[in-house]
Amino acid sequence: MVIGSSLLISIVCLILGLAAGFIMHRSDYCVAGMFRDAFLFKSSYMLRVLFLQVVVTMFLFEGARLSGLLAFYPFPMLGFPSLANLIGGFLFGIGMVMAGGCVVGTLYKMGAGSLASGLAFVGLVVGSGIYAEFHPWWASFIKATTFLKGSRTLPQLTNTSPTIYVAVIGAISIFFIMKWHNENMWQRASQVRGYLQPWKAAISLAVIGLVSYIMVGMPLGITTAYSKMAAMIENFFIPDHVKQVAYFQVTKALDIVHPTSGALMQGGPGAHFDTIWAIQFPLISGIVLGSMVSAILLREFAVHFKVPPVQLITAFTGGVILGMASRMAPACNVWHIMGGLPLFAMHSLIFIVGLVPGAYVGSRIVSRIILGKSSGSEEY
Amino acid sequence: MDTSDKQKIITLDMRGQVCPACLLVAMDALNKQKTVLKSGAKKLSILTDNREATTTIPSTANNMGYEVSVNKIDTYYEILVEGRL
Repeated sequence: MVIGSSLLISIVCLILGLAAGFIMHRSDYCVAGMFRDAFLFKSSYMLRVLFLQVVVTMFLFEGARLSGLLAFYPFPMLGFPSLANLIGGFLFGIGMVMAGGCVVGTLYKMGAGSLASGLAFVGLVVGSGIYAEFHPWWASFIKATTFLKGSRTLPQLTNTSPTIYVAVIGAISIFFIMKWHNENMWQRASQVRGYLQPWKAAISLAVIGLVSYIMVGMPLGITTAYSKMAAMIENFFIPDHVKQVAYFQVTKALDIVHPTSGALMQGGPGAHFDTIWAIQFPLISGIVLGSMVSAILLREFAVHFKVPPVQLITAFTGGVILGMASRMAPACNVWHIMGGLPLFAMHSLIFIVGLVPGAYVGSRIVSRIILGKSSGSEEY
Repeated sequence: MDTSDKQKIITLDMRGQVCPACLLVAMDALNKQKTVLKSGAKKLSILTDNREATTTIPSTANNMGYEVSVNKIDTYYEILVEGRL
């Protein structure tokens, strides 16, 4: 089922990105905000929605696996658990809250006209470029702290069929989902035009993840493309330096031959146009454009430049931390929470264990910055 | 809006500001201006281009015992918070 041609892959990813960007904008699907608001406002509504997405994804992936639709199980580029996942996840949590959105949230907010998210995006590229400089050191750290070599997922570790995991965890999850349904906790009141109920967005995004897994071979992931952008920009100004950075010479981070189509899918973080570029760049463009289209249709698209500078600096700094963390983790929250977690991937579980306290620290930093130094222009 | 009305309205222009600035600043104002807002002497008007705030501020303010209405103005929203009559 995996599409072999780069052009076809790109078209599929562009469409998936457009749909995801549109849906996220309509439902305010901000993963950074989900964790942050649980800490700042004791509001766990959106975390429940994220939980719903993970559960639906878990069932869809397992159904697809049993139907023979998944060429790769688990999917490629899924690592072994290491301490790097924990530290990367922690920094990622701080970065995403400071940036005001995760690696995907930043894209859809930028698409809707947010200047701060635009700067966070620049920060993401800068942070990915900084990571490349210390990659050899970090790679040896990952290697030294990897444990349970040979097992990527809990079912592999325990030598149990994933179906048993899905059945047990699924049954418990359905109990809670139904309980919240009976307590009418899935609907959210909104007075604005075009609002999409987040639970519908959760199910739609789970389906988008499944389509990506079946057709591209992997669930959604975008952060390697940020390294590629950094490499391409550096290549323009300082090509000699780029040649010396070991990280940018990696060309086979993704290296698979699809068993049925025979298509070679290869790629890495350097300044090359490869399969990773063909997958992730259209996805990124799609999310930005999908959100922009949504905002324009609602007559909401506008860029406001009168933003307290401290917020812009925080967003940019958050973006830099986020960019570095997404390479250190490695991979981002979307990859781990919406892709790895539903397969019980251990490196994703450890990433989330780090992410939660990171988001807490980020929330404290951000609330102090906002209430301490800036507020809206007030007139009394 | 005439002058007397204008004096009665506290405006927070949050357009362009990042999450969670809107809700944080709004909650801060709701707490600090509680007496005048609850008595009906003043209203709080929050201007925002952040869609999320049009959902989160009304639900928070409702829980705190306020009436909230959301109006679209040009490309942004005005969230008007007032004491329950």
